[in-house]
Amino acid sequence: MEAPKRDTAWGPMEVHFQAAREAHAALQEAGLEVELHQPNLPIFAEEGEAKRLAKKKADEPHEWRGDAFLLLKDRERLLEALSLIREQLAFQQIVDVTAVDFDAEDSVLWGVYQVLSLTKKARLTLKVHLPKDDCRVASAVSVYPGADWHERESGEMYGITYEGHPDPRNILLPDDWVGYPLRKDYEFPEEYHGISCV
Amino acid sequence: MKPLTIIASALPEAPVSEAAAPQGNGLTEMLAGWLPESVPFWGLTLMASGLAFGVIMAFVSVVAMFSTWLERKVAGHIQIRLGPMRVGGWHGWAQAIADGVKLLIKEDIILASADRPLFKLAPALVLGTAISTFVVLPFAPGVMIADVHLGIFFVIAISSVTTIGVIMAGWGSNNKWSVYGAMREAAQVASYEIPLGLSLMPPVIYYGSFSLLEATQAQSGWFGMHWYILDPSVMLVSVPSFVLFFVATLAETKRAPFDLPESESELVAGFHTEYSGIRFSFFFMEEYAAMFVMSAIATVLWFGGWNFLGLAALEGIPVLYTTACMLVFIVKSMLLVFVMMWVRWTLPRLRIDQVMILGYKYLTPLCLIVVFAASLLEYLRFVLSN
Amino acid sequence: MEEPPQTTPPDQHRLREIELDVRTQDVEINMGPQHPATHGVLRVLLRADGEILVGAESHLGYLHRCAEKIGENVDYIQYMPYTDRYDYLSSMNNNLSYSLAVEKLLGVEVPKRGQYLRTILAELNRIASHLVAVGTYGIDIGAFTPFFYALREREFLLDLFEKICGARLTYSYIRPGGVMNDAPAGWLNKVAEFCDIFDQKWPEYWNLLVQNKIFIERTANVGVMPAQTAIDWGCTGPMLRGSGVDWDLRRDQPYLVYDQLDFKVIVGEGYRGTLGDCFDRNFVRMYEMLESIKMVRQCLAAIEEGEVSHPDVSLTIRPAPGEAYVGIENPRGELGHYVVSDGTKIAKRMRCRAPSFVNLSVVEHTLPGCMLADAAAIIGATDIVIGETDR
Repeated sequence: MEAPKRDTAWGPMEVHFQAAREAHAALQEAGLEVELHQPNLPIFAEEGEAKRLAKKKADEPHEWRGDAFLLLKDRERLLEALSLIREQLAFQQIVDVTAVDFDAEDSVLWGVYQVLSLTKKARLTLKVHLPKDDCRVASAVSVYPGADWHERESGEMYGITYEGHPDPRNILLPDDWVGYPLRKDYEFPEEYHGISCV
Repeated sequence: MKPLTIIASALPEAPVSEAAAPQGNGLTEMLAGWLPESVPFWGLTLMASGLAFGVIMAFVSVVAMFSTWLERKVAGHIQIRLGPMRVGGWHGWAQAIADGVKLLIKEDIILASADRPLFKLAPALVLGTAISTFVVLPFAPGVMIADVHLGIFFVIAISSVTTIGVIMAGWGSNNKWSVYGAMREAAQVASYEIPLGLSLMPPVIYYGSFSLLEATQAQSGWFGMHWYILDPSVMLVSVPSFVLFFVATLAETKRAPFDLPESESELVAGFHTEYSGIRFSFFFMEEYAAMFVMSAIATVLWFGGWNFLGLAALEGIPVLYTTACMLVFIVKSMLLVFVMMWVRWTLPRLRIDQVMILGYKYLTPLCLIVVFAASLLEYLRFVLSN
Repeated sequence: MEEPPQTTPPDQHRLREIELDVRTQDVEINMGPQHPATHGVLRVLLRADGEILVGAESHLGYLHRCAEKIGENVDYIQYMPYTDRYDYLSSMNNNLSYSLAVEKLLGVEVPKRGQYLRTILAELNRIASHLVAVGTYGIDIGAFTPFFYALREREFLLDLFEKICGARLTYSYIRPGGVMNDAPAGWLNKVAEFCDIFDQKWPEYWNLLVQNKIFIERTANVGVMPAQTAIDWGCTGPMLRGSGVDWDLRRDQPYLVYDQLDFKVIVGEGYRGTLGDCFDRNFVRMYEMLESIKMVRQCLAAIEEGEVSHPDVSLTIRPAPGEAYVGIENPRGELGHYVVSDGTKIAKRMRCRAPSFVNLSVVEHTLPGCMLADAAAIIGATDIVIGETDR
């Protein structure tokens, strides 16, 4: 297959948007509740955009730029969605599994799955909301083995329990580390085993 | 045939048995000439042993120092660098001395969990055996500690005792990497003893003797160029046997591409990982001493020993002649040592199974073929010359 | 030794035990964190049956420097130097990936000359990185000399980098909005000179190291990873291409000016053994260096005078809200930055998807069944930089 057109200096955009729309349709068809979020700012910034955005009122509609993503409403059906994405939509490779704690006030974390199709030459971002008080989601390792270490990492960093992960130990942090460092409400420890951290 | 005289007096640590026939060698005779008659024979023997030990030890130290310096220079120039350039001025000639002093004054660390007797004994055993092999090397006419009649046999036998020292070091260090190094050494040396011994047979068949002195004297023809490897009538076996010997030697002395017992990138430093200071330097000296001995054996058996073109012309001036012979012998040996260094800094390392396969499947059969060919050739030469 | 004896798991070794009628014990041995073959502070816990490995487990985190947490606490320009320090052998590419992600949120495109300069530097940096990869791989195998030959050319490259940005290792040269400054006078000629020199020197590595019989023996058929495994485990870069998967982000997701360059994606062919072995990964790296030279030459021919940076991007960057993922082809694979912005000058999330991290995750599945010496060969062929796996 031909390489997609280079739309911008950071790579193709249209092929990813297209893939997101297709995936949205396919997932909905399979009965999964999925929202498609597409950026509503133009790819290239217009004159005075930064100033306009800075002055924006809170009640005005959210304007944003970047990648489109799919938001899976029901986190229990994540594996179903991922296997569909892998099997039917031919996104063979998992690029990244991570999470985002957007704000300390938020009640949810975002679980983010970046997948890549080597045949369609397109990327897809799938998100799922995980409530902070019940932070668990099925492990993607059974669908994408490559999610293994990524899940261990975001598990220790955000305190997400990936259910069914074959080896859910800490990977970058010591085994006895307290707290989840990448959460926005994380408090830095004073010391670790007698080593001062301040 | 002369009686078998593996002269106990020349071995530094060997006990002198009273029951043995009191037969001295040049060294004891020399001492007897200097000392009053009242000194008993065992006294002479002890003194001779001490003297021999001192001389060899000094020589080994100098060889090891020079070789380390040479190794670093060779490595440097092969790797488009200069190597040591500062200590002592000219091309860092004093670098090895500085290193030696550093190793001497470094702290000698013995792990709390190490097997102390083994750990302490291992370097001594390793270096001791390496030194012992120098006893039979014929440096020049008359400059030889002992003309052991089974000299070649002696060298092979003694040099493989090193393995025991290495295993002791590996086990005594209480470090798994060291044990790995030791086991590799055991496996490797045990396997390469066979090709090593076999590849020495063609020259032995040619000279009809195990004595290194006789081998050297046999090559003195053609104005000093009648070397075994240059003799066209046996070149068919002498060249292959040398190549096989050289490869086996590399394995025997743990040099690349067979440096598995201490392979830096796999086993950290192998059997001597836990050694420091003077004990480490013993292993270091052993390596260079072993390289020199093996090269010297090759020099004697294939490259004419001290013989060189026109050297016999100096025979009238004994001091000059002896010095020149020694120089020729040492230079030839160091050239072979240089080739070993060259190989080390060029080739990657083999894996243990590949080392074993090379030893058992290729070198040993080839050696057998060469030995057979050498025997056949010798028979033909015998038939033709009569 | 000090650890309690481990009995062999019966399911794994029952056959062998019956055969030998001996109950053997496996050795558990720590490779690292201080070990010459792990290229840093990686710890691999090996379980070996003599010289043959029966299990491996990686332990990371010895060099964890909280880069992602720092990214949520400093502003966009301040985070620049931290990207240098993931994979310190390919800092230019790290800068590039980060800059592109921020520019994607900013919605600005760097002027053409800036893009060409970025491409040239990214490719030169790829050569510099591959030189170290191939050279240190020689050391892993036991050949010390090729490393110094590789450093000779790398030195030339580092001088070039020093001339253009003043630093030899952590460049921070490519930054959001463009590059630090234009190339100094005569710099591009120097690059052309390097291309000529490198073309001459490349056969030296090829003949001295890669074509060496022992090197082939040690790498061919070792650590074989089938294409499907490589894809499943998310491997990228030479690991993926070494397994025969024709995938290169420079061609398949063209960024900068790669769509205008004519180059070949090097894919392993099982040239000396099985497809996907350690030899193929090095084969890919070796030939990629030549392709990079080709690309640099084309860039040198096409580069024109002009601006190198976007004038609107100041030191305080306030990208539009949103999120952007940009993955580029680093020397070790896909380096992705996932940046989430809320419109302020500090990012909400600064995720770095590190290729070494992912490539390393498959190693512990490749090791069982190999020899102990192969562990060094396989980890070396993976070409990990611990600064990146741990971030």
